[in-house]
Amino acid sequence: MSAEQDSRLPEPSRWSDPLPEERQMAALPRFSNDAIDPGLLPEFQRASLHPVSPRFVYYAVTANVVSWAVVIALVIAVPRLPMVNFELPAWLPLVPLALMLWSCLVGALDANRRRWVLREHDLIYRSGLIWQRTAILPFARIQHVETASGPIERLFGLMRVKCFTAGGMSADLTVEGLERDAARRVRQYLLEQISDEDTAARATAEADAE
Amino acid sequence: MSPAAQDWQRLSGLALVFIIANSVQKTIRENLFLFAGAGAGAAFTDWLGLREFGLLLLLFLLLSVLGGLIYHRRFRFRLEQDAVRVRRGLIEQKELRIRFARVQNIQIGEPFYFRPFGLVRFSLQTPGAAEKEVELPGIPRQLALDMRDRIAQQREDPQAADGAAEGAADALVYRAWAGRLFLHGLSSNQVWVLAGLFFYVGGNLLDRLSDRFEPYLETAAESIEAAWWWAPGLLALLLLVLFTLSGLLAIVRFHDYRLSDLGARLVAVAGLLDRREQTIRRPKITGLLLRQSPVGRLLGCWTLTVHQTQSGMQVDDGGKSSFLIPGLRSVDLPVTARLLEGASLPREFNGVSARFRQFAWSRLLLGLVLAVLLIMLLLGRHHWSLPWLAAGSVLALPLLHWRFRCWGWALQGSRLWVRRGLLGQRVDAFDLERVQQASLTTSPYLRRHDLATLNLVLPHGPVSVPFLPEAVAAELANRAIYAAETALGHQV
Repeated sequence: MSAEQDSRLPEPSRWSDPLPEERQMAALPRFSNDAIDPGLLPEFQRASLHPVSPRFVYYAVTANVVSWAVVIALVIAVPRLPMVNFELPAWLPLVPLALMLWSCLVGALDANRRRWVLREHDLIYRSGLIWQRTAILPFARIQHVETASGPIERLFGLMRVKCFTAGGMSADLTVEGLERDAARRVRQYLLEQISDEDTAARATAEADAE
Repeated sequence: MSPAAQDWQRLSGLALVFIIANSVQKTIRENLFLFAGAGAGAAFTDWLGLREFGLLLLLFLLLSVLGGLIYHRRFRFRLEQDAVRVRRGLIEQKELRIRFARVQNIQIGEPFYFRPFGLVRFSLQTPGAAEKEVELPGIPRQLALDMRDRIAQQREDPQAADGAAEGAADALVYRAWAGRLFLHGLSSNQVWVLAGLFFYVGGNLLDRLSDRFEPYLETAAESIEAAWWWAPGLLALLLLVLFTLSGLLAIVRFHDYRLSDLGARLVAVAGLLDRREQTIRRPKITGLLLRQSPVGRLLGCWTLTVHQTQSGMQVDDGGKSSFLIPGLRSVDLPVTARLLEGASLPREFNGVSARFRQFAWSRLLLGLVLAVLLIMLLLGRHHWSLPWLAAGSVLALPLLHWRFRCWGWALQGSRLWVRRGLLGQRVDAFDLERVQQASLTTSPYLRRHDLATLNLVLPHGPVSVPFLPEAVAAELANRAIYAAETALGHQV
């Protein structure tokens, strides 16, 4: 959207009117506060998202089984240790077993619903089954990118892409469930985008200085 | 800057006093609760006689002095054309180079014992650092001022030199006198920290010392027991003392507070015993936070915090490294426009959906019913906690309503204001182009009613608005992302 287009747009009625102080500030150098028509903004809801790798469902189930299996093994093994002199109810291992089945089901459904897409200027990632979250991360805010994969992810040929920003841990975004080659390509693409943004910013700053 | 400044330099001898005092203060602050409270400290102080305690104290002081001496002896710094280089370390030697262009906050402190010698403490902070990255205690005042000006004249702040030339008198935008500062002390949360510290440390110390002073305590206890009904009066007196103390502490900390606008940078000067000058670079400001505690609301007193990029580990607690403007009255609030161009507290905020209140009330009642059923099943129908639980829930209903009323947002151009709170209130203001990441979160309840929670992550931390109509939340997210993507490069 160009600056000319912006200035021609009417003030949307739902946003509050400018205050007298704002009008005074308009006289300040290098400051503009034009209204933007929300109808002309690119909408993230319209982007068509791609599903993550179908193997991510198997990964989610396996990861849940492995982590809950440790708990079940402990509940079964601890009362049988020679130095332990108490008994647990025989039905107790059924509790982590039921939790394992539940988390496998939720994990599989969540994995099946995960979506992502790279747009021209940002990355969108949707995750969650009960609590659904759609996050949008502009490339201009990414500080660095890394890929990572654990043993179970490697077993299924999967890789995570982690994008780090300046807002601390809450601003970082991890895209899970990408196939190894796709993850590497995404990392490379993001690194190129970051370097382009930096070059553009430097050029603008130099032009301003002159 | 003199050519000598380019060489490796040492700190002045007086800096040793600061290093030792700082190290002792840090150790006491970090271990106060351990030794006054339970755990190893309790076991330790139980078998400790006065003589052993004195010996340990002496040993601790000796070690602090020795550590301070070695640290001071090894400390070197050098000023370069566009950076400062520091070599320091007690056991491990570290060398650090900070480019001036990266600096977002400069502090020049003048503790009272440095004043007669014309020395100051100079500290620098960069984005993302957990604490002050460089601290040079005991350097000549002129050298610190030269460094400050050189940092301000970096290419990012081309107007800085002109601004500095304008002179401090024209640039003064806010000044807080003792009365305002006393009100700030009364309304700050510091009073509750003091109360907690007093009861916790005092209570535990009394437990420890009661054995030793038993004979005196027994006679005192009789008179205390006789006068137990004085307790509310004593409590009120104690609160009065704590409030007064908090007010006086605020006067000492912010004595003669002056905020000046020097174009590309803002400078705040304050302090009685330790006069500090804080410089913040305007391009590094990422947002503002206006706060009113419940007492502050009664007194009409606001506190303004200027946000910068912070690491995840940092807590914005209004500590010494925060850029805090104390004792603002409602008439002073236009000062926000000098910090963030054109920012003025909106007169009206858009509320969140009334479903927020319905949801909170229904979940509260559901929790109450479950708790009552559990208590009746496990503890009997006539348990004493049942009426208290009911009374607590009745009290919680208006509180949840106030919470709902407090949530609000307002958009002024591309600047978003978000208000939240309960008895007190916090209002965040930031430019959408500063947003690092935007996300929408929905739960089954929110989806059923076409609502969503908007989360915007800023360089200083996240800001959320719950229970927004989904279309409004999406529109705000789209605006934020558009502003961030059309902003000039990395704004960190």
